[in-house]
Amino acid sequence: MSDLDRAIAQLRACRLIPEAQVRELCYKARELLIEEGNVVCVDAPVTICGDIHGQFHDLMELFRVGGDVPDTNYLFMGDFVDRGFYSLESFLLLLCLKVRYPDRITLIRGNHESRQITTVYGFYDECIRKYGSANVWRYCCEVFDYLALGALVLGASSDLESSGPSYNDTTQSTMSTEDGELETEVLNSKGEVLMKTYKQRPRSSLDNGSTSPPRTQSQTSMRTGAPGTGASGGGGSNNSSRTGAVLCVHGGLSPLIDTVDKIRLIDRKQEVPHEGAMCDLLWSDPDEIDGWGLSPRGAGFLFGADIVKGFNYKNDLSLIARAHQLVMEGYKEMFDGGIVTVWSAPNYCYRCGNVAAILELGEDTSNGGTVTRSNGDYNRSNGILTGTVNKQTLRSPGRRYRVFEAAAQDTRGMPAKKPVADYFL
Amino acid sequence: MASELQPPSDRKRVKVYELKENDWFDRGTGFCTGQILNDEPRIFVESEDTPDRVLLETKISKDGGYQKQQDTLIVWTEPNQTDMALSFQEAEGCALIWNFVNSVQQHLLNMAAGDDALSEDLESMHPITLPAPELVNLPDIDHLMRAASMAQTGRDALSKCVIRDEYIQKLLPLVTVAEDLESLSDLHRLCNIMKSLILLNDTTIIETVVTDSVILGVVGALEYDPEFPTHKANHRLYLSDKSRFKEVVPIRDQSIRRKIRYTWRLQYLKDVVLARILDDPTFSVLNSMIFYNQVDIVNHIQSDASFLKELFSVFDPRSADAKRKEDAVQFLHQCASIAKNLQGPERATLYANLINNGLFAVIAFAIKHPNPAIRTTGIDILVALLDHDPIMMRSYMLKAVNEKKTPLTDTLIDLLHTEVDLGVKNQLADAIKVLLDPQVPIQAAMARAGPEAAKVRPNMLPDAFVQNHFDESSRRLFAPLKRLEDQSNLHGLTFQAVALYSHLVDILTFFVRQHLYRCRNVIQNERLAAHITQLLRVPQKHLKLTALKFFRTLLSLQDTFYQALMTHNDTFGLILDIVYETMPRDNLLNSACLELFEFIKREHIKPITLHVVGKYGDKLRNITYVDTFQGLILHYEQLQGYSEEADSTLYSQEEATPVLKMPPSGRWQGVKEMDPAEEEYFNTSDDEEEWQQDNQTTGTLISKVPNGAASPSVKSLVDYPDDDEEDADAMDTKPEPEGDTKQQKPDDTSNEDAPADPVPEQPSTPVSQVVQTPPERLSEKRRREEEDDDELVKLTSGPKRRSSTSSSTGSAGFLRKKRSGSIGSVSLGDKAASSQGTPGMANAAPKRIAINLSSSVKVAEPRDTPPNTVTNAAGKESEKENQKSGDSGEG
Repeated sequence: MSDLDRAIAQLRACRLIPEAQVRELCYKARELLIEEGNVVCVDAPVTICGDIHGQFHDLMELFRVGGDVPDTNYLFMGDFVDRGFYSLESFLLLLCLKVRYPDRITLIRGNHESRQITTVYGFYDECIRKYGSANVWRYCCEVFDYLALGALVLGASSDLESSGPSYNDTTQSTMSTEDGELETEVLNSKGEVLMKTYKQRPRSSLDNGSTSPPRTQSQTSMRTGAPGTGASGGGGSNNSSRTGAVLCVHGGLSPLIDTVDKIRLIDRKQEVPHEGAMCDLLWSDPDEIDGWGLSPRGAGFLFGADIVKGFNYKNDLSLIARAHQLVMEGYKEMFDGGIVTVWSAPNYCYRCGNVAAILELGEDTSNGGTVTRSNGDYNRSNGILTGTVNKQTLRSPGRRYRVFEAAAQDTRGMPAKKPVADYFL
Repeated sequence: MASELQPPSDRKRVKVYELKENDWFDRGTGFCTGQILNDEPRIFVESEDTPDRVLLETKISKDGGYQKQQDTLIVWTEPNQTDMALSFQEAEGCALIWNFVNSVQQHLLNMAAGDDALSEDLESMHPITLPAPELVNLPDIDHLMRAASMAQTGRDALSKCVIRDEYIQKLLPLVTVAEDLESLSDLHRLCNIMKSLILLNDTTIIETVVTDSVILGVVGALEYDPEFPTHKANHRLYLSDKSRFKEVVPIRDQSIRRKIRYTWRLQYLKDVVLARILDDPTFSVLNSMIFYNQVDIVNHIQSDASFLKELFSVFDPRSADAKRKEDAVQFLHQCASIAKNLQGPERATLYANLINNGLFAVIAFAIKHPNPAIRTTGIDILVALLDHDPIMMRSYMLKAVNEKKTPLTDTLIDLLHTEVDLGVKNQLADAIKVLLDPQVPIQAAMARAGPEAAKVRPNMLPDAFVQNHFDESSRRLFAPLKRLEDQSNLHGLTFQAVALYSHLVDILTFFVRQHLYRCRNVIQNERLAAHITQLLRVPQKHLKLTALKFFRTLLSLQDTFYQALMTHNDTFGLILDIVYETMPRDNLLNSACLELFEFIKREHIKPITLHVVGKYGDKLRNITYVDTFQGLILHYEQLQGYSEEADSTLYSQEEATPVLKMPPSGRWQGVKEMDPAEEEYFNTSDDEEEWQQDNQTTGTLISKVPNGAASPSVKSLVDYPDDDEEDADAMDTKPEPEGDTKQQKPDDTSNEDAPADPVPEQPSTPVSQVVQTPPERLSEKRRREEEDDDELVKLTSGPKRRSSTSSSTGSAGFLRKKRSGSIGSVSLGDKAASSQGTPGMANAAPKRIAINLSSSVKVAEPRDTPPNTVTNAAGKESEKENQKSGDSGEG
């Protein structure tokens, strides 16, 4: 068993590794991350996760629900630290896994992966408390500076293999499976199907015109309700989503970034700035507005459906996956499924009462796993052209959400901060 | 009660805010007075526009968690749990009302202690009687408490009853009984009851809970959390461990000893026992109790002269008790961390007091300690001081220099060079950065040094002295970089060396950004740019990145001096090499390089465009996977085209250029005058392969210029007295012997005239530089002639430069930011999504208020505010600095 495997085992048990080992880990991670582009290309299948916020036991629950590394290919969209009581254990575990299985786990930066934010929201204090000095915090912050800003998921399948027979509404679902492909599926932590949505084949939707809604739902459980507005929006299947490329970023879009390639021109190794493209990617939120709006957060922007549609069309994206906002249902699709918020910290802050979700994107085998983009070496700035060729054949990816609740009480200790060892005053 | 309270009757202009759904809602602007109505003290605000309208009328209650924040804010919670805030126009008005609130509360507390009429009122309204504290009654008690906790009146009545009957004390024996009976259900109920009692959020109850006779019983009950039925915590074990309290010097005052103990318990309650269940009000009550205790403790300690004397005497070199010294360092460290929470003036007094007693000696002791943990602690104390007032610290340091003592900076620098613990090294680098920060004007330092100012002020230090000190320290600091020139092979760098270099380059980047001129001497004399250029070729990518960041910063300054440094050291050639190395891949280094060239393109930095495309045109043309370089070439061609057509719409500096056929600016004319001998000189002094290629590329450039064929290199266009040596070293190939002595040998200057002549950058060289060579050289003369030209350059880039001088690097500003962070250790309870909040006053308000809740941290509904809104002045500053670092987004 290598040192790294030992460290992983130790961290999985929620026990910290010694400072010297953290330092070494961080340096290794740095060497690895420096090789990653600002936008990492990830091949489907991949499981996309949102904020973790130091909720270590819930992270373990996430791995239980979504499968373990390296069996499952993971993409974490930032905000590993702060708020929860186990930021160190959570982040270090993820980092260990990254170093151990670099191709099976992708970490991108969230707005909490920043010196300033962590001094305010808990990670700094946690480091001081658990290691007695700010050194580990410094090492981690150094790593934060190297984290990628986004990821592009390629080769995601446009439909899903149905996960199970658990839906009851046979009539509707039979019809749907005939007329359309399974587009989204929501599963609980036991793998039972809670909800499905279908999209119709492009041909039939042409035939039917506006008489039938483009997406039909069959819902087997009301527990999560119909999240997001995608299903009820009904305004035609999103015409920008064809290629199956999914952009993952912590916050959202930036008025300064009109193409994915522009992201590559950022020198990301810096503290998250207070404005500018890099800041926006980590801080912005989608909102029901037209165009751009001022963000109440004081950093980043609000952006509306038109922005998302335009961006997705221009960059040939089927979906933007982002995190950054608490959603009680764990995930929330907006703007006709053009963007989704994925939130992976159940019962946020140990009291918000929300469920969490992860998003699984399957591999597209129908096209022989064709990847329409490559990592910078081919036709990088010319995505549109390649896309147009494929637009007839490729569709938006099938999305499978797994919703889960906070880890059962008995699987974790009582979450608490570590008390001070000694005191003088 | 009215007799002793004098309500302020002056009308103070104020804005009233109410926290609605986690947004501060502006209830309007009006005039605030304090009143006593029917023997009830009230705060009263009548509307400014319609005087009849009452914006706020609130009874000042005993609890309510009134807080004064900054100087103009009062925040509290209404009995119906609404959070309210008053934002005063003037600090004076705020103080007046605050005094009133304070005295009322004092008064109420006194009365409450005496169980007076007021509390009888409450009870008469909602009488509560609790069942006898017996095991059989536990379900009832639990139920009753839950019910009573629902409403504020019930809570008040319950608190009263519990306090009066000393009910907690009566419950405690039940814990032992239930444990003996192993009755888990009873223990769970007791736990719930204790939780309810604490969450009543009554200061008196919480104060009772932490007393010696009660605490163990209470946390004993809390060990049996029904939410974790299979777990039992061991709070009692932790809290009864007396050895956790370390006493370096005995504290004799019993009340202070008690306070220390209680504070420790409060912290444990807050962080561990109640961590999950705390609601916001209780959390802030705990925090403020801790805070006020700490203020008392710290004040006591610093007012006790004999205690301090004894404390600092621990460090007497004659004393051999190493453990005690370490403990004393820890003790002071804890003082310093507590001080971070104190208000400015109190903190200043404390630090001044500690410094007078010899805190610097302690820091010096700690940072040289063999144990890295103690070193870290020592630097932490230092950083706390720096955070508190960097200017004061600088003035102490300069004072030491002035008195010919070894300044702290020298010690720190030496340590930085030798330190092996990378964490400590990191801290040292940060501390040095702040201490030497070239930006801080010394006059301000004098003015701000507080009580110490009087002592320092007489030796008002001239700027030359400061500059001198900066140069001295920098020379010492950057010496390892200078030693790079002896390093022929950069592949064998040790881990330690790499770490040191990256810190040094980082510090220099910070300096350059902070002050445009201050570092020029040292960069020039020590040939730092050339050495950092060397670092672009190390195998360690992060070090490459750091070096790259340095040059990116130089570029962003748009200063001709620094531009010359870069065009002269083949910097761009090496950067392009990195682009080539990383080209097909899309990685951080590659992006950083692209960003740099993108910046040149976007900002239209002409001299650099001319240099880069002129010298490396072919290289650029081969990079096609992004359009950045094509854009640069296009820009270059436009520039060329322009100069031939003599388009008069461009910058006036060009218009002044008399010779149209020149490349864009008159300063380039020297090219033609170069003779073959000189060409040879430059050729040999440069990197061989690089050079071959360059010659070809230059050829293409010059071919556009009449006579260009004869001129060998663009490189020589920009010359610097010592640059050739730099080149030689930087390329670590065939160093040209003459190069090194050039500056000393006047005959060399004749060689240089031509190339030096076209350099517009020269005039900005500090004069001290020039005086070193006695005979006035031709180049100097020309430089002066060209000063006008340069001034124009300065003008055009003026505003940019100004903003960049006041900025600092992202990581560098961190010390400052950390402080601001601790001010705003708050998330304003804000809703998660979909706020339609319109910008403006109503929106600005929550942010401002959020700044202030520091001691009443609201972690509630978690919503982030970025630090620039959480912080005030410091935030603004860092905002500016990030403008610089984040300019990637401007295009």
